[in-house]
Amino acid sequence: MVVAGIDIGSTTGKAVIMIDDKIILGKIIMASIKPAQTARLAIEAALENAGLTAQDELQYIVSTGYGRLKVDFGNENISEISCHAKGAFHTDPEVRTIIDIGGQDCKAISLSAKGAVLGFEMNERCAAGTGRFFQVMAKVLACGLEGIGSPGNISPTAATISNQCSVFAESEIISLVNNDVPLPDIITGINRAVASRVSGLVRRAGLADKVVITGGCYGNEGLVNALEQALGLKVNRLPVNPQFMGALGAAVFAMEKFRAKTTETQINMEGAK
Amino acid sequence: MRSGLKSDIFEKFAALAGSISNSELEGWKQQGGKVIGYTCSFVPEELFVAAGLMPFRIRATGSLSAGRADDYFEAANICSLVRHCFNKILTGEYEFIDGCVIGGGCDANRHILDNWEKSEARIPFLHRIFFPHSSGILMAQNFRNQLENLKQLLEEHFGLKITDDKLRDAIVLCNEIRDLQKAIYALRKVDNPPITASETIALVVAGYSMPKEAYKADLTQLLEELRCVTVPENKKTVRLMVVGPGHDEPTLCDIIETMGGTVVTDLTCYGGKTLFGSVREADPDPLQALADYQVIDRPLCPKNLDAHPIINREVMDKIKEYRVDGIIGQSYLCCETWGGELFLLQKELKEAGIPMLRIEREYTSDSLGQVQTRVQAFIETISGGLL
Repeated sequence: MVVAGIDIGSTTGKAVIMIDDKIILGKIIMASIKPAQTARLAIEAALENAGLTAQDELQYIVSTGYGRLKVDFGNENISEISCHAKGAFHTDPEVRTIIDIGGQDCKAISLSAKGAVLGFEMNERCAAGTGRFFQVMAKVLACGLEGIGSPGNISPTAATISNQCSVFAESEIISLVNNDVPLPDIITGINRAVASRVSGLVRRAGLADKVVITGGCYGNEGLVNALEQALGLKVNRLPVNPQFMGALGAAVFAMEKFRAKTTETQINMEGAK
Repeated sequence: MRSGLKSDIFEKFAALAGSISNSELEGWKQQGGKVIGYTCSFVPEELFVAAGLMPFRIRATGSLSAGRADDYFEAANICSLVRHCFNKILTGEYEFIDGCVIGGGCDANRHILDNWEKSEARIPFLHRIFFPHSSGILMAQNFRNQLENLKQLLEEHFGLKITDDKLRDAIVLCNEIRDLQKAIYALRKVDNPPITASETIALVVAGYSMPKEAYKADLTQLLEELRCVTVPENKKTVRLMVVGPGHDEPTLCDIIETMGGTVVTDLTCYGGKTLFGSVREADPDPLQALADYQVIDRPLCPKNLDAHPIINREVMDKIKEYRVDGIIGQSYLCCETWGGELFLLQKELKEAGIPMLRIEREYTSDSLGQVQTRVQAFIETISGGLL
């Protein structure tokens, strides 16, 4: 069985192909203003990595992410909350809490021991606590996203960032820069401010060990460190690239759906005999 | 697809609910009829009907901006429904009304009157009544006195007499309309409801936008037809109830039904919240009957200090009656009245094992992607095993 999951997020597009139980990741594709086009590029990259030549070889496709409704070649779409849950639990069945920080939103998802979604919380419309916030701050500090996430920039004397609005926080950080506050202090302050906001979402959704982080911000060591302090629990890395977790979950759903469909067809055929 | 509906009443209701001015209203005006606008569901329409006036509930249908209204509201904590309604007033879309009664159900609503008086928009009759903060006989008496005062002002301004007999007739008519609406709502208790959420919203909003006798005739015919329609058996869906403030346009419900849910009932200010019991019909003091209905029998506004247990009970009853799988608690940003109510409700529903999704939004249909994702995830979570 060959199936695919496609995650069209606000910032990037990702696709995962599953050939039976084998998982093949595609590439991170920067999202264009046309989600369908991003989806095609993402699936082409995954097909190439899987050694497949044509999209026709995919027997079932599930789309997810903000652009999920625009994927015109998918069989169905499922929300990114269900897909991140499915992908993370498939990768590690001990996962009970997922923190997904994407380009323009962040989510906290609580899972049962069977992998069912028990609760979820999302940020409201503002960009605070999302990848976009980090992008804006990295630009102000001229340190790149690598600088924001670098373990070398974790400081014990973090600056206090009181504003979590991207616009107001930018002004606040410019003031700190002009007051010669060391860069690691400012960066740690930024990561702690985001961790504080995200930890509120996590507690509302339901916090339980084991906690994992998915989405594009998973590589931010400073943020992970700040989240661990805010939650009082270890924030774990998954063995599969966490940025692909939505696409992987969509692929696992695709596999389950296709198997169920195949079984149903067989039962109907046997019944007809 | 539903089959067997002979008339085009749903199309008519959708047209009436989809705009402010409409053909029924224009027909009424052409015959010399007067129209009185009002805000808030506790302002008794019966009083206007008894006066021979056509009540028209203020709404913001189709509004894309509150730019002009924002110049007037000094505080930032005014919900977008109120701001968009007042914007419609300022842009002249309510020029057809001959007067307006503002119900002070919430403070934001009250600001419409303050700003109207300051604005360039002229209105020959503008009055405010307050909804008491608590229930009880004294409060009902207070509300009755306000209604008596309003009655006298209407009589003086419009040069008419509102007799007790006319009031009793109006009460009977409005009770009949409520009963018909309730009967149509009840049709959604079945597995495959014959009406969609959008049609239900159009049905109730149309009732605030046309003469009552004609509305009653339409409802009577529609109910008769709906009882005979056939609806194909659909796959099982998640049955949801919407709870929250004024909800006069179908965007949210359309999202819910597109994402695989079915809205089977609601407790919202334009809809289910107004379909509560009946007003006493043969009371020697019809004004007192109206006041008792609003303050003692139906104190479903979270502004009322005694409302919470009643709202809770009403929601729990509806969950059983309509076999509701989950609640969508929607409110507008800055709506503290409903914000607090939904917070309490969510806590109690959680204890009862009923899932609830909270959505805070603006009146205009912005950030639909976020809402779609949350609604879809909520539906998927409830239907868990099916995925």
